[in-house]
Amino acid sequence: MKKKEYLSEPEDSTLLYYEEFRDKETEEPEQIPSPEKEKFKIIGAYTPRIDGEKIVTGQAPYTHDIKLRGLLYGKILRCPHACAEIVSVDLSKAKNLPGVKAAIQLKEGRVKYAGEQVAAVAAVEEKTAEEALELIEVVYKTLPFVVTEEKAMEEGAPQVHDEPNIQKFNDYSRGDIEKGFKEADVVLERTYKTAVEIHHPAETHGSVAKWAGDRLTVWDSTQAIFGVRDTLARVLGIPASRITVIKKYMGGGFGSKLGLNDYTVVAALLAKEAKKPIKIILSRKENSLCVGNRPSSLQTIKGGVKKDGTLTALYLKNYTSGGIQRGDRCSEPIIDVYRCPHLKVEEYSVFTNTGASRPTRAPGHVQGTFALEGFLEELANEIGIDPLELRQKNYSTKNEGDTGIPYSSKGLDQCYKIGAKKIGWQRRNKNPGDGNGKIRRGLGMASQIWWGVGRPETLADIKLHQDGSVEVICGTQDIGCGTRTYMATITAETLGLLPKDVTVKIGNTMYPWCGSSGGSTTTPSVAPAVRDAALKAADYLRKLAASKLEISADTVVIADGKFFSKGDPPKSIAFKELLSELRREKVFHGEYTGRPSGYAYNTFGAHFAEVEVDTETGQIKVLKVAAVHEIGRVMNRQTAESQVIGGITQGVSTALFEQRIMDNTTGNLANPNLRDYKLATSMDIPEVEIDFVDMVDPRINNLGTKGLGEPPRIPSSAAVANAVYNALGVHVQELPMTPDKVLQALRRKEVG
Amino acid sequence: MKENIQFKLNGKSVRLSMDGERMLLWILRTDFGLTGAKYGCGEGFCGACTVLVNREAVRSCQLPVKDVKGKEVMTIEGLSKNGELHPLQKAFIKHDALQCGFCTPGMILNAYSMILKNPQSSPDEIIQGMDGNLCRCGSHIRIVQAIQTAAKEMKGMKKR
Amino acid sequence: MKNFMIAQPQSIEEAVSLLSAKKESYYLMAGGTDLIGEIKDNIVEPDVVVDLSSLPNLSSIKKEKNGVRIGALTTVAELAEDRMIKEEYPGLHQAANSLASPQLRNVGTVGGNLCQRPRCWYYRDSEVKCRKKGGSRCYAYRGRNRYHAILGGGLCYIVHPSDLAPMLIALEAEISIHSDKGEKIVPLEDFFVLPKTNVHKENVLEPGEILTEVRIPASQTGDKSTYLKLKERGTWDFAVVSAAVKGTLSKGAFQNIKIVLGGVAPVPWRMKKAEDMIKGKKAAEDLLREAAREELKEANPLEENGYKKDLVETVLYRAVLSLM
Repeated sequence: MKKKEYLSEPEDSTLLYYEEFRDKETEEPEQIPSPEKEKFKIIGAYTPRIDGEKIVTGQAPYTHDIKLRGLLYGKILRCPHACAEIVSVDLSKAKNLPGVKAAIQLKEGRVKYAGEQVAAVAAVEEKTAEEALELIEVVYKTLPFVVTEEKAMEEGAPQVHDEPNIQKFNDYSRGDIEKGFKEADVVLERTYKTAVEIHHPAETHGSVAKWAGDRLTVWDSTQAIFGVRDTLARVLGIPASRITVIKKYMGGGFGSKLGLNDYTVVAALLAKEAKKPIKIILSRKENSLCVGNRPSSLQTIKGGVKKDGTLTALYLKNYTSGGIQRGDRCSEPIIDVYRCPHLKVEEYSVFTNTGASRPTRAPGHVQGTFALEGFLEELANEIGIDPLELRQKNYSTKNEGDTGIPYSSKGLDQCYKIGAKKIGWQRRNKNPGDGNGKIRRGLGMASQIWWGVGRPETLADIKLHQDGSVEVICGTQDIGCGTRTYMATITAETLGLLPKDVTVKIGNTMYPWCGSSGGSTTTPSVAPAVRDAALKAADYLRKLAASKLEISADTVVIADGKFFSKGDPPKSIAFKELLSELRREKVFHGEYTGRPSGYAYNTFGAHFAEVEVDTETGQIKVLKVAAVHEIGRVMNRQTAESQVIGGITQGVSTALFEQRIMDNTTGNLANPNLRDYKLATSMDIPEVEIDFVDMVDPRINNLGTKGLGEPPRIPSSAAVANAVYNALGVHVQELPMTPDKVLQALRRKEVG
Repeated sequence: MKENIQFKLNGKSVRLSMDGERMLLWILRTDFGLTGAKYGCGEGFCGACTVLVNREAVRSCQLPVKDVKGKEVMTIEGLSKNGELHPLQKAFIKHDALQCGFCTPGMILNAYSMILKNPQSSPDEIIQGMDGNLCRCGSHIRIVQAIQTAAKEMKGMKKR
Repeated sequence: MKNFMIAQPQSIEEAVSLLSAKKESYYLMAGGTDLIGEIKDNIVEPDVVVDLSSLPNLSSIKKEKNGVRIGALTTVAELAEDRMIKEEYPGLHQAANSLASPQLRNVGTVGGNLCQRPRCWYYRDSEVKCRKKGGSRCYAYRGRNRYHAILGGGLCYIVHPSDLAPMLIALEAEISIHSDKGEKIVPLEDFFVLPKTNVHKENVLEPGEILTEVRIPASQTGDKSTYLKLKERGTWDFAVVSAAVKGTLSKGAFQNIKIVLGGVAPVPWRMKKAEDMIKGKKAAEDLLREAAREELKEANPLEENGYKKDLVETVLYRAVLSLM
């Protein structure tokens, strides 16, 4: 196989991500259903995961667990230097080690971050592969590097690429920003900082690759089986029709597994050379270095407001660092959520010699929401108005700050109402920092916006067998959200069955196409596609039952495992019996075709947090979070609540603990493990109260459902930070709010 | 150094001749094909590799297999008996105490060992006892609820 | 990872004769929770690992007339769950329960906890040859140092990571060290060394020596002890700053008091100046803060760890007041 330039930049850069969601012109869907009128029994109820049993018995096969005959283990040699030129690579000693079956060079020329792949080996045992790596002789010429944003922005800093380290990538304006400031009674400017976050899914990245002749099968821990297949085809130069990608279970991704990874290509190349299947599992350190991160941000917001709380101007300048990749667009919340006629945004990437960023659960929105919502709290304080009232005062019904197109459905005002009640918003300090004592309490809140759309042309099949068994099939991914479960419940509800009667098949590119599980698109893509297939099946079966029962099709009711006459219920035929009439299995093809143009389809939410801060130690304890989300129809109440709990937990974790720490002298990552990169544990989790606004979107798809994967992650850190502000009277303005930052902020307040 | 190591694995006596310094996690996953115990970090920080040795929860990624000589090892695969789920397993499903599920076997076994030691664990004790097992998806709250439910049911059960 | 031999001595005598005979580099291992990681990460490359876990009579907690003897192989969990320790040395009970996680406490040993190597991320980075590892500079000094030392630094700025050490020192513990020359008893306070003395190690153990036992004097009526640990997370982090206090209260004042800090220096830091200021006086927050500040006069914070000074004041006054 000709050596291709392997893939070093992940396919899904965080900016390309946004292009998916821009208000696209889609074709008008064939039928515009009225999903808000439908009432369901199973859909939306509390349904336990149908794959739960497999998981709790340890039977669920993750990519780590794949066993194949003759499997070899692959390991990758990574550059230890933050910037270097590869002078030579000698694989001979590695190749000659007994047990080594393949060794390949992966990179020539310049490496731009510590962790970039240089070579790889495959051996019969992992231990041998590790030894072989140590035998590979690489000569590097080290070059000047820069690994922190601050240093990268300095005059004379080493250049990461062939262009200055600071590059503008977003320029937006509406209205006249200077006019906006002139109209304001109060103008305020504040700067907020967020750190680089690492995804750290529980299951580290990994792939298994196996060739059978010219056909390649890849088992990948991925959120995007079709993305992996198609990009793999391009990179390897082989037809996509000869590649199958399988993902049964995945131990978390959060965006870091949203496309083809370079080690997957390596597995395929090694497998070809060794003529045996190869498994590559990344270590936790590799997960810290080179499979993605959430870019940092340094956001300065200048805003103008009238005394009555009307926003007149908002200006965001953002410096965001995604390593060798571009940063995150953090400006969507400020552009979209609140009514504000005059707005300006400038966003710059700051390049550093560190691993490339990748979409991380709500890219840009998490950072942008922290800054925007923090700013609004501080602004509210300046004019002496309740910060919740400030949000409500500038409520919009159209997107882009009320200047664009109408939202198809928006329940944010109800989120505010319900959430405020649950947390007891009236208990907050009227003035931030009120109260005395060493331990202070405070309440804070934050709004959330995200896109709720699915991917048009998502396909799903329902297969009916003559023995009465039913399959629902879609090439989607269940990344822990319960996709399998609602595929079963939708099918069951539509066909009058129970979820346990439905066999769900997902995670294989031989199944009908589905996009990647990212951007909170899975539910609003897969659910309507499955529903479409189920409705078609129901339609067909109704006609079949009608002819058997000698009644008209529109009087046939499907329920409780049978088909019966509406006017004469005893006239019925059992589901199983009806299907036995089929000549062969029948397949019904469903598709989610799209949504009407002219509307903005977003999800909304609000988190309200209560914290306790020890002003002498700077330690923060999050006591309670009330989270209310509007996501259209909730497909499964139980798993939806789990998503929200997860978002809150991750938000608390980043608000208080998480940051990637780089050292500018060594160029190394100081915390490449889970001891020093601190994740929240069970002892850090607050009490939570969760609710969903009872609202179904009337036109987004045939179920009126929007996505929930990212929304709960967006306002969680911001709400905690704002609660700390309310407790202390000074906003820490930086995440994570570690004790040293809190003490610094208190000192800032003293000084004044 | 190859040595004969005999121990009980999920109730069955097993004997292997192997390098005693290999970590138990890899013996279980590779040699015995029991993939319920997971590799999460290999450094003892995350708990995804948790198994029970003489009913104590241990990090199998840090435990040389020679240290289980003559002892009883239980993995998640050994928790349910005769196809019937253990109360902990049932409770985890009921309370949706799992999302991606990768940490779940470790969580369940750690909880099992904790309840065996202290069947009357209070919610605070449960939270503290589980604090060494990481869950990136954020299922902690559900996990604590599930353990409370299971503990009640286990009180009425015969000792396993 | 270099291949190494394992030796499993069956008695202390066998162990020390093994160690004195060998010329290669060898490392002692008890629970292995520290050493295994160091070997995997290529921080150390032993020729021989001497597995002490088979040594008999070293994992017990025995109460005798003049005190308690704790075998070095006693697991931290056993120490944490011991009823007598909880009653008579509550600070030690707290310290044992505050460290690592329940699972790691099942395997980690008391001896291992005292002898563990630092957690400094430069030390733990196999690609960085810092001064402690034989290189020519300390990377923490002008680097990322929010967790590093504010006291006792110089040449190296690690903080000693043990939670048991500060508490045991406050309890005036002694340790028993065995070698082929026999047994010697060393006050635990003298066991740890500053980098200025020897930057390559953290304690006085010489090659051929094994820490076998910890001995604490018998508790007297009126003795009070506590261990207060500040961490970033709710749980099993290493201490950012901690305070171990032991004293005898009489009429609202401490007649004798020992205060040892963790998380601030390369050795557990005995606050002699603060102790002198507090002895005999009515213990109140203002006095305690002043005492801390007196001690902190010799602190030399680095760029990112100045906040530890505030934490020292707080942890000292809160720990002492909690004993009243």
